[in-house]
Amino acid sequence: MKLNKRYARSVRANLSFYVAASIMTMTALLAFYLFYIAGIGINSYADEFFSRNKLEDAQFTVYTPLTDEDITSLESKYDVTLEAEQSFDSENDGVTARIFKANQKIDLYEIIEGNDIKEDSDIVISAGYAKANDVSVGDKLTVSGRKFTVTGLFLRPDYLYMLKDLSDSYKNVSTFYLGAVTDSMFSSLNSGPSVTYKVIFGEDSSDTEFRRQLNEDFYLMSYVPAESNARIKMVHDQADTYISWAWMMLILLPLITVILISIVIGRKIRSEQRIIGTLSAFGYKKSALMRHYSLLAMLPGIMGGILISVLCLLIAQPYGELTLIDYEPLQAEFRLPVSAMITGMIVPTVIYMLAAMLKIRKLLKHDTVELLNNSVGKDVKTHKILTNSDKKVRFKFAVRSLIGSKGRTFVVFLGIFLGAMIVSLGLMFSDSVKGIGDAVKSSYGDLEYEYILNTIKTEAPSEGEAVVAAKFENEDSTEFTLMGIGADTQLWELGLTDGGSADLEKGWYASSLCSVVLGIEAGDEITVRSVTTLEEHSIKIEGIIDNGYNSFIVSTRERAEELTGLEHGSYTAIISDKELDIPASEVSSVLTKDTLKEQMDAMLGENNSLIYAILIIAAIICISSLFIAIGLLISENSTNISMLKILGYDNKRISRMLLDMNQVLLIPGIGLGIAAAYAALSAYKDHYAALVNAMLPVELTASQVIITTVFVCICYYGSLYFLKRKVGKVNMAESLMDNRE
Amino acid sequence: MFIEIRNAKKQYGKDEAVVNALDGVDLSIEKGGISVILGPSGSGKSTLMNMLGGIDSLTSGEITVDGKNISKANARELTEYRRDDIGFVFQFYNLIADLTVQENIEVVAEISDSPLNINEVMEALDIEKYKKRFPRELSGGQQQRVAIARAMIKNPKLLLCDELTGALDTKTSRSVLEFVQKVNSQFGTTTVIITHNNAIADMADQVIVIRDGKIVENRKNKNKLPASGLVL
Ligand SMILES: Nc1ncnc2c1ncn2[C@@H]1O[C@H](COP(=O)(O)OP(=O)(O)O)[C@@H](O)[C@H]1O
Ligand SMILES: [Mg+2]
Repeated sequence: MKLNKRYARSVRANLSFYVAASIMTMTALLAFYLFYIAGIGINSYADEFFSRNKLEDAQFTVYTPLTDEDITSLESKYDVTLEAEQSFDSENDGVTARIFKANQKIDLYEIIEGNDIKEDSDIVISAGYAKANDVSVGDKLTVSGRKFTVTGLFLRPDYLYMLKDLSDSYKNVSTFYLGAVTDSMFSSLNSGPSVTYKVIFGEDSSDTEFRRQLNEDFYLMSYVPAESNARIKMVHDQADTYISWAWMMLILLPLITVILISIVIGRKIRSEQRIIGTLSAFGYKKSALMRHYSLLAMLPGIMGGILISVLCLLIAQPYGELTLIDYEPLQAEFRLPVSAMITGMIVPTVIYMLAAMLKIRKLLKHDTVELLNNSVGKDVKTHKILTNSDKKVRFKFAVRSLIGSKGRTFVVFLGIFLGAMIVSLGLMFSDSVKGIGDAVKSSYGDLEYEYILNTIKTEAPSEGEAVVAAKFENEDSTEFTLMGIGADTQLWELGLTDGGSADLEKGWYASSLCSVVLGIEAGDEITVRSVTTLEEHSIKIEGIIDNGYNSFIVSTRERAEELTGLEHGSYTAIISDKELDIPASEVSSVLTKDTLKEQMDAMLGENNSLIYAILIIAAIICISSLFIAIGLLISENSTNISMLKILGYDNKRISRMLLDMNQVLLIPGIGLGIAAAYAALSAYKDHYAALVNAMLPVELTASQVIITTVFVCICYYGSLYFLKRKVGKVNMAESLMDNRE
Repeated sequence: MFIEIRNAKKQYGKDEAVVNALDGVDLSIEKGGISVILGPSGSGKSTLMNMLGGIDSLTSGEITVDGKNISKANARELTEYRRDDIGFVFQFYNLIADLTVQENIEVVAEISDSPLNINEVMEALDIEKYKKRFPRELSGGQQQRVAIARAMIKNPKLLLCDELTGALDTKTSRSVLEFVQKVNSQFGTTTVIITHNNAIADMADQVIVIRDGKIVENRKNKNKLPASGLVL
């Protein structure tokens, strides 16, 4: 079979197409794989780690401590596992150590380096702090005035995301660590440790009944289910975000890329119609031709698939570890699942193959004579535009080729569009994250400090404003803070998202973050309940207060007292515009605007690796699709180019005539790309808000537009520069040999 | 002499597969007349025309056209030479499919220093009435007249026609040759017609016969006929 000899020749003749299409297929898949690898790597590690080390289902604190008997009876009555965890915080040189007595049943620590404690002078500490501060096994540490030897580093399932306080937004591994010492040492270090109860539910447990019982018998101070515990949920949430990005990328890139390459394959085959006609006239069967061309078309799919698999083998682990910087040093293994690898190889390949087969089938429906005359697919109508215009011929030629070859024009447009979209998406995301810090400042206005008290007070504070703050949840157990504030507040920002200001006397207002997290709008009637008492109330939301960083529902103190069951005039927190002199023993935690801003700011640095990956992917996709499209333009016009050369046109003139017109696609391509990125990020904003408790301030700025434009133009003119040389390579004899148009 | 060719050699391929397409051609052609180069298929006619037109370069030897030594020219000079001095007409017309008749002519006029008046040229070739049509909407003879107009619009020093009637019937061929004769006398353009059809030699001032890359005959034609009288 003679056709076999054509494979190598055909590949050589279209080498730049095959290379660009393979690279493009690979890059498009890479965008999906990068996020997918990160997401499933973290998820599968976390699942195993959590079950191995008995992650809690919830934790709570009470006013009346549980005795060992209480614990045993609750365990059997409610089919739960219950453990009282003892700990205390100890400060030394500005570093806080949270020292635990080792748990037996729940939230066990796992040593990842060194050995467990044996002697009283031994300590094991959280690995994230050790890595960040160069503490190694064997080093000495001082806790509560005593020297300890670090014998090992550990991870704890309830502290994979190292928040000092549950209300913090961002990890602290610089001035905070966990430590475990022997039981005897623990008792001698601290006589009155705080106790947090940890619970794991059995199959028949009822969370609400258990909670209700606890509150009746022991008075719940706090109750935090694992799903609301940022230290725990952050792990799966972030992994799930990666996976959702992966699917978004999958829809965007590989799909579009595959369509784009299929278009090009179709056109390449059409341009060979004379050969196909000749072969068919010689008696080659349709199936033989289909097999021949579909084998050629499979090449970019297979090559791309192989390249991506090799690349993923090399980079999956180091890349995946980059996505772990937020967590404690998880020992996750990152690799591309074989099933994904095979799918990534097969799906594009099959689509390219089908594109080729369909094209051949369509071509062979035409007369062999038509094929031999090269006249199939020449759209006569669209070529007829501008026949009455006085414009330069080269302009008319360019316009007709732009409009007449819609598929090719679409590929150029898509390259520009995709490039612009991916770049601006990356820039906007990074700008939004950077902007969070400032947005926090403006959302909080004059308010600088919020002191959460550990007792309920009634006498008016000497300084600051007294407020009621309590943890509430909706019917889906999603938590928020219920606030009661004086209607005449000077500190709490009451600006509404739709302009105007909240009138607390009128009723309840939700913050914009809360409205997104709970999925509520102004005018909604919702049922809420106290996290501790589970008492339900129905409230109506009058409006949305513009604050994307604190999930609260607020009204007057009187209304809040009613819902929380507090006596008139009592309060649980103090807000202030300056630091107050409140005894530390009365304060359970302090929120400051600056720390919130710092935590938000700190998050941004870590998205950079992803942003760079996105930029590189954008560049490769943009350049390779331009390369493919313009390469196609040149090969489809080789007869014209050759003739123009004979007529005395130099390469520069020919390039101008053939290629310059594509510039008109730059503006709509970039414009629409940026618009699409803006729309995508605006839509993604809510999902992200629920994840990190912060709304991205999505903004379109001049600098984003400029950088995107410059970037895409560099890709465009850069690929043109290389492709112009292709014009020079077209042989003049070509039009004389191949001359029946 | 207007055209001087000295010991021109052109080889294609190498080693055992080498083809001597031109094998030492010596030739002079006078200004203003019509010369016909005759020869069987594969004798090297097109090769000779490509060398004369600056499409390709000789392996050795020299070609001078109107005092310009084009065998020593570089790529840029050859481009300028083709642009300013040479008009080509090919067997298969080779018009640009996406351009109308008028635009096919304008595309050359636009890069020419001193183009002729386009209406005058279209009138001379009687194609004015098709000027808005696209090549595929014209017959072969009509297309070939457009090709001649495209070649003539720049007012070339040398009109090169390679088998320009090769794809046409005898009646149309005669008509196209009449137009060639007409532009030759109207614009005084030195014209070289390359053909394997001996009958065309009757309209020439000079007849050159080439075989296996060598000139085997070169004579003046005293009794030149008008193209309308050719027995094709
Ligand atoms: N580009 C080329 N490569 C190799 N051989 C060629 C090429 N062009 C022409 N030839 C060979 O040179 C010889 C002369 O060809 P050509 O000038 O086209 O002849 P004619 O026009 O008289 O038919 C032929 O043997 C032909 O096969
Ligand atoms: Mg020939």
